[in-house]
Amino acid sequence: MNNQPLTISSWPQAVMHMDADAFFASCEQAIHPELRGKPVITGKERGIVSAASYEAKARGVKRGMGYFDIKKICPDAIIVPSDYETYSLFSVRMFEILRRFSPDVEEYSIDEAFVDLTGLRRSLHCSYEMIASQIQKTVEKELGITVSIGVSLSKVLAKIGSKYNKPNGLTVIQGRDIHSYLEKLPVDSIWGIGANTSAFLHKLGIRTALQFARKDEKFIEKHLSKPYREIWCELNGMSVYPVVQESKTSYKSISKTKTFTPPSTDRAFVFAQLSKNLENACIKARRYNLAASRLTLFLRKKDFRHIGIELKLNRSTAYPSELFEPLVQGFNQIYQNGIPYRLTGVVLSGLMPENRVQFSLFDDTTKIEKMAKIYTSIDELSTRFGKHTVQHASSLPVKLQMQHKGDRKDVPQRKSDLFKGENKRQRLGLPMLHVQV
Amino acid sequence: MIALVLALRTVHGPLYCPNSAFTQLTVPQCCTKIFIFSLDSERSFTYNVNMKQEQKDEQLKGRIKEISQFYYYKGRMPSFSEIGEMLGLKSKNAVSKLVNKLEGLKVIERDEKGRLTPGSIKFPVRVLGTVEAGFPSPAEEELVDTLSLDDMLIQNHESTFLLKVSGDSMCEAGILPGDMVIVNKGQTPQSGDIVIAEVDGEWTMKYLRKRGSSVILIPANAKYKPIKPKNELKIAGVVTAVVRRYQ
Repeated sequence: MNNQPLTISSWPQAVMHMDADAFFASCEQAIHPELRGKPVITGKERGIVSAASYEAKARGVKRGMGYFDIKKICPDAIIVPSDYETYSLFSVRMFEILRRFSPDVEEYSIDEAFVDLTGLRRSLHCSYEMIASQIQKTVEKELGITVSIGVSLSKVLAKIGSKYNKPNGLTVIQGRDIHSYLEKLPVDSIWGIGANTSAFLHKLGIRTALQFARKDEKFIEKHLSKPYREIWCELNGMSVYPVVQESKTSYKSISKTKTFTPPSTDRAFVFAQLSKNLENACIKARRYNLAASRLTLFLRKKDFRHIGIELKLNRSTAYPSELFEPLVQGFNQIYQNGIPYRLTGVVLSGLMPENRVQFSLFDDTTKIEKMAKIYTSIDELSTRFGKHTVQHASSLPVKLQMQHKGDRKDVPQRKSDLFKGENKRQRLGLPMLHVQV
Repeated sequence: MIALVLALRTVHGPLYCPNSAFTQLTVPQCCTKIFIFSLDSERSFTYNVNMKQEQKDEQLKGRIKEISQFYYYKGRMPSFSEIGEMLGLKSKNAVSKLVNKLEGLKVIERDEKGRLTPGSIKFPVRVLGTVEAGFPSPAEEELVDTLSLDDMLIQNHESTFLLKVSGDSMCEAGILPGDMVIVNKGQTPQSGDIVIAEVDGEWTMKYLRKRGSSVILIPANAKYKPIKPKNELKIAGVVTAVVRRYQ
């Protein structure tokens, strides 16, 4: 029974998933060739690991680990500040390379993408496996980073493939081979199945992905909801989730969080951090013409424990002035004096298109219109002179104090080592190779 | 010479909006000052004709611009009421005066049925080749297909990197310390190319020379000697351009 294929059609459609290997750390190794083959860790400015190279991972370094622990298990680790500008450039380039092969590219995250390869065998004169291998080689040649690729009949299966062999792996799962890849895979490592669902599936006697895929449709329909039925279909080689081309134009929620070191007990400073996050979240919401109906704020204490509060707004908005009142109220409710905090965050949710917001009977329409005018001007000033040219005074303490106290080496090299004509705000949109020649 | 005008209408319109009031006045050329008397003395005022002329020109320019923008975006001429709305003219008569004036200036024209057609404003329109747009300006036709500096310096954007030069080993090739060189990682290096290479663990920028099966790296500075890789040669990319900004 276990050797019976789940489906015998080999390529009704071909979906590829590409996942960059230790992306941030790999980018650092690509622009600093002397770091190749060494344990590299990014996230110096935050004091915790945000990405670790495979060399560091082999030594037991994990995401989120603190500076002190790193030094204990991997004293020769090279810790560099995050250079998001360069990572973004690499990310965009990776997607551009994918688009040379297929127009159907879904940018799933900064270092992951789905590509629909269906029907490209003829035009590219090679098999799906060869296309994927060419993509892998091109990325490595042009960008100097490695990626892991899975090719299969659906997104869920492609994702299993890209995880199957990392780093620099290429796994092709044909229809008749699906079952052999699912046999040993625990059910909770399937994309979309979390801890709760997997615990529930365990109760039904399902432990591996194959057991899940082999259940008949009636059983699945009886016990599980639609999203899991869809995953079941995908595992059986029936593609349900399409590769969505367009980049994100709408959001369900917008969140902005920021860590600061050392942790602070200064009430004004912690609030300023929150206020700045709120301003940033609102800028993003306005960019997508959205207005929020709910505001969540949360603080992370020094011991990494969270405290948060969700507030419902009277009127959907994306203007900080309107949001400060609930923000202050919420902050007063959760802030405790004398406790050091290390992170603040703001989430705008219940988003709707800004032009669909209606005035209620008690709204001061002239005031709102005035506010709209002010923020439109602020946004215009920001595009011309840089972000936060005009900002709320409550965010000011952030500007006066450094986000991360300590040595100035925490600024990425790209930002400090400028070419003539570049400035603090704008640099050339090309990554820089850091070698002495 | 001074013109005296008695404003009989005391309703808000004309006096608060001197522009539209003035368009209805014909004042002899030699007038330098106009006194306007209203029945209630508060709203009487004088106007300096010379000053006015400049402002008037400015205003007229603005109006022409608005009409031409309308034409540019919508691809048709605005109606009288649309002109009025656009320019803040309340009456059709005012619009008509303006239109007549613009017609005199050949900014707009009328067809045989009296409808407005674009005159000189039609030139900035980018819709090439259609009858309404008239002939495209030759300058624009020429500018459609030009290279930007980016296009010229970068062949394959995805595989291009920048590098700041620190040494002087290529100074005779015109590459000085502090210069920015543009490096293409995706290009196969040929003999004669300037390359960024790792030779036995050291990074360097040199000319690449292939002689038979052996490879040699040649500097462009008499102070340095050619390098013959002993164990390993890795080429990170080909230098395709050097950029130096002086100011």
